[in-house]
Amino acid sequence: MGSAFIVAWLSASLRLAGPVLLAALGETFAEQSGVLNVGIEGTILLGALASFLASYYTGMIWLALLVALLIGVAANLLLAWMYVSLRASQVVAGLVFNVLALGVASTVYRWALGNSALPESIAMFHPLHLGALSNLPLIGPVLFSQTLLFYLTIALAFVAHFVLFRTNFGLALRSSGENPATADSAGISVSRMRYAGTLISGAAAGMAGGYLVLAQVGIFRETIVSGQGFIALGIVIFGRWNPLKAAVAAIVFGACDALQLSLQIFGTHIPPQLLLALPYIVTILAISGLFGGKAVQPAALMTPYVKE
Amino acid sequence: MAKLFERRLTPLDSPLAISTTTSAAFLTAMLVTSFLFLRYGASPLQAYAALFHEPFGTLRGFGYSLVRASPLALVALGTIVSWRSGFAYLGFEGCFVIGAAATAWLALLGAPGAQPGPMPSFLFFPLAILFGFVAAGIWAALVGIVRARFGGNEVLISLMSNYVAIFILQYLVSGPMRAPGSLPETRLLPRATWLPFILPGTRAHAGILIAIAAAILAWMLLRKVTLGYELIVTGFNPFAARYAGIDVPRRLELAAFFAGGLGGLAGMVEVLGSQHRVMDGISGGMGFVGIVVALLARLNPVAVIPTALLYGGMSVGADAMQRHADIPSSITFILESLAVLLVLAFDALRYYRLNPAFWRSAPPAAAEELK
Repeated sequence: MGSAFIVAWLSASLRLAGPVLLAALGETFAEQSGVLNVGIEGTILLGALASFLASYYTGMIWLALLVALLIGVAANLLLAWMYVSLRASQVVAGLVFNVLALGVASTVYRWALGNSALPESIAMFHPLHLGALSNLPLIGPVLFSQTLLFYLTIALAFVAHFVLFRTNFGLALRSSGENPATADSAGISVSRMRYAGTLISGAAAGMAGGYLVLAQVGIFRETIVSGQGFIALGIVIFGRWNPLKAAVAAIVFGACDALQLSLQIFGTHIPPQLLLALPYIVTILAISGLFGGKAVQPAALMTPYVKE
Repeated sequence: MAKLFERRLTPLDSPLAISTTTSAAFLTAMLVTSFLFLRYGASPLQAYAALFHEPFGTLRGFGYSLVRASPLALVALGTIVSWRSGFAYLGFEGCFVIGAAATAWLALLGAPGAQPGPMPSFLFFPLAILFGFVAAGIWAALVGIVRARFGGNEVLISLMSNYVAIFILQYLVSGPMRAPGSLPETRLLPRATWLPFILPGTRAHAGILIAIAAAILAWMLLRKVTLGYELIVTGFNPFAARYAGIDVPRRLELAAFFAGGLGGLAGMVEVLGSQHRVMDGISGGMGFVGIVVALLARLNPVAVIPTALLYGGMSVGADAMQRHADIPSSITFILESLAVLLVLAFDALRYYRLNPAFWRSAPPAAAEELK
């Protein structure tokens, strides 16, 4: 296990971290506004399908990404209506929406492509080659040979952090999730903020689906998401509802995932499942209250707001 | 200016109102799904007839419906016990695989060549039920303890705990419990440990009887026993419960234990009744579909059995439809989830009523403006 192993492992860690981080950034907005959006799992799936079909028919990858984003927003308009306007149980609406999304995605996929064989390939994002930077030892292949979408996601983490903690909008959003009654009396429309949070998470989750298809997998399957939306939920918590910490959390999750893949190739005796389970165990401990993590959670998370 | 719809001070919660909105939601879901059938050139009526004929019109299909319904009903009962106690547990996928792994381990003790040798079945089945229940019950109770003693959020923790359980199962079936062969799965369980088949000519097994018994017990627990009353009070208002002298943390832990145990029984029933071995992915989302079944049954244990049968039957019918008419079975996912979402949405209707003043007051108001 030399430097080749380290390079392969680290660059795979970053590659795997990308889509879930994008989804987690959006989810941070929803949760900071007081909405636990469990429906991002289904939204990622819809985004993946939309971008796959768009790329397959038009060959334009940026258009495909945009379509995924729009589908994510449209789907989450329904969710926001249920969460905020109908004040339905957020967990229930989100979970059931995921089943609906699975049904819609597999039905639409069969309409579009029938039972025909999988298309050979679609237009995709490819890893960038940044000249001299990519040729640097170790950090070249790890940091400077990712796809453009990866750098975009990292940039968005900084943007999200700025918006959440340095703008009036971010303050209003966070106060709706912390103490909606006070926010309301300060003239902030809690429901508008929660709609905004949910729609932002929808846009990000849709794009995450596009990321998955356009930069990593290149095909669509019903099982393509397989829990990545729930992983994003874990990353949000692990990152303590902070976009920059979420980026670190996503890379930790990605590193565990990549390490078990590499260890399987090298044939060690550590069960790969232990490494896979590790991030979840750490997340559970982080939110268990054993270490006082409760204070960081938005106080009104999952609580519908009824205006007096 | 009077509004057409006026908000009620309290929702209309008569049984008639609830059943009307629920059936209206179902009919709307079926109507929407009809358009999908049209896409396949099938008349919606024929399609629905096909969807329900296989599971409820043929003996073989009915047997399969019972097989699918049993674990769903048990997960749904677990959902009811925990949610009505104010413990929003979502970890049934995990409980399912823990229960499945525990009972498979017990059953494999009786495999030829294994140490204690075969057990008489009057001893094995009660022991298997106890084992599956307690193993998964403890698994869920851990989340209950974290919530009750440390204030952790059970929704998020139980969602995450599913993955830990699934990885434990993956480890077991690819390591210690793996059968010789290429696939990561256990050996076939000894024939003597299979749940008996109860309908000749079908695959229906005694699991449905376990589910029915569990439904009756859950109903008795929540309706007839002091403990159940305390659980429900804890769910309604933990502060009032504490004021009345109820040990709220202990009740939450008990609710978690019962809920997890029922989820574990679902895994046991699936392994001993239907799969007869354990493999990765054995839960197949049933831990979540069971929650949906509980919601459609309005968290009422008695309504769980017919609702689970309806859901199990629809999935059997959908498979048949896909085989015979090449209509994708995923359409039933749409039908099933749309029904629940619409039930939630239509619930809001019970908060409103038509306002007769709207018609009475409108013309004069308009006339005022004209002047």
